[in-house]
Amino acid sequence: MLKADLWNGLSDEEAGLVHALGKRALLTGGAELLHLGDPAEHIYVIARGRLRLTLPMQVRDHKQDVLVEERVPGQTVGWSALIPPYRFTLTATAPLETEVLAFSRDALREHFAARPLTGYTVSNNLASVIGERLQLFQTMWVREIQRMVEARCA
Amino acid sequence: MEMLLMGACLSMFGLAVTCLAFGAATRTAAAPEPKLEPVKAAAPSRFFVQQVPLEILLMQIENHVRLEQAAVESFLQTPTPDLLHSRTMSTFIN
Repeated sequence: MLKADLWNGLSDEEAGLVHALGKRALLTGGAELLHLGDPAEHIYVIARGRLRLTLPMQVRDHKQDVLVEERVPGQTVGWSALIPPYRFTLTATAPLETEVLAFSRDALREHFAARPLTGYTVSNNLASVIGERLQLFQTMWVREIQRMVEARCA
Repeated sequence: MEMLLMGACLSMFGLAVTCLAFGAATRTAAAPEPKLEPVKAAAPSRFFVQQVPLEILLMQIENHVRLEQAAVESFLQTPTPDLLHSRTMSTFIN
């Protein structure tokens, strides 16, 4: 079974039950998995390949999707599906053939309602994923502000 | 009569002084203006400044993001003020 951050800490049996809720989806190289602003109904775990998370930027009068993060097998993408207002806040594209497990919000909620301990553990794992992202971007933001301060004071 | 002549002399003297002053003022105004350098010559020409191709610029941004993430992850492993603002080899900002 795929080792993933989302079911970290679950027993093999519980992890297997969560894993079984996922539907496999294959993305060809260059295919888009999710798009900024779209309704978020599914959360994804990467089984194989890689995903580029991008945000649009204006570069010399061109709108360009600029890389903000990369995700690899075992990592979770699309947690906006579990957090209101359930809209994706970035775009995810597969730079090469990539396989993901798609978990619908409804299926996860139903499963967690029946197994609260599993729901608690997965929620904790999700909080870790979100927390890591927060720390990463908070620190990147401070570094950028520091550079702006240095440029202004130069 | 003498007073009249004296007044006339003084008037002529005053007129002469006024004429001299006017002449001097007119010469100053008519003096050739200092030669101005054409603006184009003074400003650095941007037309010939070679821009980094868009693809290269995007690669630099992407590389910068990766280096920043690596630097940040290093900080998050061992949070210290020095590591928070550690420098990278990013060509995008250096």
